[in-house]
Amino acid sequence: MKAIISRGFKPIDSPSPENSARRWTLKEKLLLGMTPRQYFGQAVCNPFNWVLGLIFLIGIPLLIYRFAFGLGSVTHSSYDYPWGLLLGFGLFVMVPLSASGFLLGTAVNIFGRHDLHHIERLALLNGLLGYFFAVVFLIADLGQPWRLPYPMFVAFGTGAVLFLVAWHVSTYLSVQIAEVSEGFFEWMGWPQAVKFVKRITVGLTVSAIILSTLHQGALGALFTYAPGKLHPLWYAAEFQWIHFFCSSIAAGLCMVIVVSTIIKKTMAWRCDAGFLDNLDAQTLTLAKGACMALITYFAIKMLAVAHDNEWAYLATGWGLWFLFELAFGILVPLVIMSYGIRHKRAGIARLGAVATVLGIALNRLNCALIAFNWRLYQEVPHWAEVMLCVTIFAFYIVVYRAILYRLPILYSWKAKEAHAPEAVRERIPFGVSVRPSHHQVFRTRD
Amino acid sequence: MSGISRRKFLAASMAGSAAATLSLTSGAFGAALLEGYPDGMGVLVDMTRCIGCRSCEAACNKEQQLPAPEMAFDDPAAFDYSYHAGQKRRTTEAAYTVVNRYEIQGEEQPVYRKIQCNHCNEPACLTSCFVNAYTKTKEGAVMFNDKVCVGCRTCMVACPFNIPAYSYSSAFNPVVKKCVFCHETRLKNGLPPACVEICPQEALTFGNRRDLIKIAHQRINDNPGRYVDHLYGEKELGGTSWMYLSSVPFEQLAFDTTLGREPIISNVKGFLGAVPMVLAIWPALFTGFHLLATKNKHGEGHQADHPIQEDDKQ
Amino acid sequence: MADLKRTKIALMFFLAVGVGSGAAALGMDLPETVLLNSLSRYYDGVSFDHALHEQVADCASCHHHTTGMPSQDPDCMRCHAGAAEMGVVACRDCHAAEPFSAGYLKAKKADTHRYHTDQLGLKGAYHQSCLGCHQAMGAPIGCLDCHQRNQAGDELFRAGALSSAGPAASR
Repeated sequence: MKAIISRGFKPIDSPSPENSARRWTLKEKLLLGMTPRQYFGQAVCNPFNWVLGLIFLIGIPLLIYRFAFGLGSVTHSSYDYPWGLLLGFGLFVMVPLSASGFLLGTAVNIFGRHDLHHIERLALLNGLLGYFFAVVFLIADLGQPWRLPYPMFVAFGTGAVLFLVAWHVSTYLSVQIAEVSEGFFEWMGWPQAVKFVKRITVGLTVSAIILSTLHQGALGALFTYAPGKLHPLWYAAEFQWIHFFCSSIAAGLCMVIVVSTIIKKTMAWRCDAGFLDNLDAQTLTLAKGACMALITYFAIKMLAVAHDNEWAYLATGWGLWFLFELAFGILVPLVIMSYGIRHKRAGIARLGAVATVLGIALNRLNCALIAFNWRLYQEVPHWAEVMLCVTIFAFYIVVYRAILYRLPILYSWKAKEAHAPEAVRERIPFGVSVRPSHHQVFRTRD
Repeated sequence: MSGISRRKFLAASMAGSAAATLSLTSGAFGAALLEGYPDGMGVLVDMTRCIGCRSCEAACNKEQQLPAPEMAFDDPAAFDYSYHAGQKRRTTEAAYTVVNRYEIQGEEQPVYRKIQCNHCNEPACLTSCFVNAYTKTKEGAVMFNDKVCVGCRTCMVACPFNIPAYSYSSAFNPVVKKCVFCHETRLKNGLPPACVEICPQEALTFGNRRDLIKIAHQRINDNPGRYVDHLYGEKELGGTSWMYLSSVPFEQLAFDTTLGREPIISNVKGFLGAVPMVLAIWPALFTGFHLLATKNKHGEGHQADHPIQEDDKQ
Repeated sequence: MADLKRTKIALMFFLAVGVGSGAAALGMDLPETVLLNSLSRYYDGVSFDHALHEQVADCASCHHHTTGMPSQDPDCMRCHAGAAEMGVVACRDCHAAEPFSAGYLKAKKADTHRYHTDQLGLKGAYHQSCLGCHQAMGAPIGCLDCHQRNQAGDELFRAGALSSAGPAASR
């Protein structure tokens, strides 16, 4: 891709070619303005695609195998360890890493931190895809996709924590689709739809906060059903949901830093100046937020140990492992990021963000797998389950990249929509008919 | 029982949460509420009587039409089977009850422990199930409806006795499987479960749970030295329909003696109680923040029409 | 366990001094064998060699409480004072064949003056009595030592021709 860009190619970032009244066709937009041959050529030249190809070569047959022969054929999950890596990683790690959507939405739309808006769409997309793929992981684990909507439509276990997770994740997915759709509508050239989404942004953001607070917490609360199974150092009846919620803030913010770093290194051609120039400053702002969350998280972690008087456990092997998680998952990232913030060095803050993401991921794996059934025995994931996780994660990367290539996430859509009135009323989602009122027309700012 | 009103409250608040967020008709929600049913039946397992013949396993297999075991039910080698370094057999998708042998130091005879669903008064599986697949019947059984089971396995995580199993081998309909107290075929018709009926030693005594508690304490009193003075399941986790008497301390038979008396759902109440709070407070709180944070900066900016493009031009 | 050992010693003592024949001295008509077949779904009936067991045990070891004569125990007398002498002292006279049937449980519950609330059923009584003593005496204790398992029994246990190899256990 870089090679093509260096030869002067400019990917599509506006509704129509320069100095032309013609509009890009959908096909042109999908190929970023390249010919199919060019597009294929650049894809083949990218070594990362070869890695992805190799993963799919092994992973896709394995996925088919899993659905043909049952979960038992690819997992070491057992009667004792009901949740294996597909859920331990796919659900419990992916969801906190996707908290970015509601966090940046809140910062920008609720607290008016418009200095962060260049990265807001990336954060929203990160959220949407993370959740979407958490559901994909879930389906790969459960193996009965047709039963997944049961808690919504067929049978209602209203008193269960997972009921709340199911409802909130599914509603939140739609909220996130609506939030991300703004960029999609711009890209498609549906200005009325863009306006409609903008109109409901605050509503969407507030519902995103509610839904996220509750289901991020609920994932933690799921473990309060297993007081005797999860090691006391990781278990805290009163604090579990706050632990999960609080750490998801740090995880979500740091995931945006990590993703934006990868983008900066590999996809700078797709970013506009606004994104690239502001990235360092925004990284430091996000890191600040993550530090606050990490400090709070660390404090309530200690509070939980003190509350249940579990100090004695710290001297055991499990205690060392717990201290390792605290040190390398919370304190070290905290120190690195603080140093980066203090000396205004985004690169160092990025390092801390990577450590945070790994640290929170370790916490979730500890809860779901490692410190679970601590009195029984240790489950070691089956190689096939690891491979399935890698495969689905590779799908996640492919979809993520494909959207970043196209939709105005990293760049702004150079729209001249005000001059191109199009009737799109019938295309507006949610079945709501929006009359283009006087009010709206005059409030269009372009 | 305080647990009942609490669960009722929690379930109602959760239903309320769903309704509030999603404008659902609340009529669709039948919250699963339990009473400590006065006529609930139970089984008293007297482990001093069990001889490890595994007839109960065989009878269960037949009654529940489970797949053939890999080893005959009269093969004592089953007692020597272990997995993951020392784990004794447990309930599986193909065996709803299992008898394990424990060699106890200082005892001439081994002690046999039968495991199956204990049919809790306030079952953790039931309270954790998001499709309401579990029902506590008035006869005392904790029933499972595999027609709605999504296979999330939260009940397996929640069950403090590690009873529910999952049909990992099934490709197209993997669901949770467990002992149902022979409710459909026997219990509701006034018959004891198959394992109780076949037990030659009457190690399993079937009856009204409240009567069984009296009988158990009577046995302890009438036979000094024979039993440990504890009826396992009388108080544990709010009480179970199946209860155990033992001649040796329960922890030596791998019973979890750290469970306490509160039902599992008590541990979850902190979070469940926070749900309506978040739902009620967050909208106003964050809309208020929004107004405070944006009013002066952007004039009418709180109207949700964000000046992103404006910023772009700067 | 110590109790059982004591019983064993006591029984051997009785055997040595010939108390086993004491029942005959009571002038009773003792059966040679008793066919125990009320519960013969999975096993053929057991022909219990009563005569043999008279040789090795005291009547009261099995016929606890009474061997036919009204009990003299003051505790028992409180209810059973007017009891007549019994010609036959069979397990089933006191121990119900179906101790967990709805009807039996209901009747038991209705009888509020009932003292024997924890009475064994017939099958439990046999097995506890027989096996307890067999264990103490070093007599055979395997199921098939006394019982001939029938076709239905083999099917139930997936044993005999119906067995397969490997443990019936978990993953």
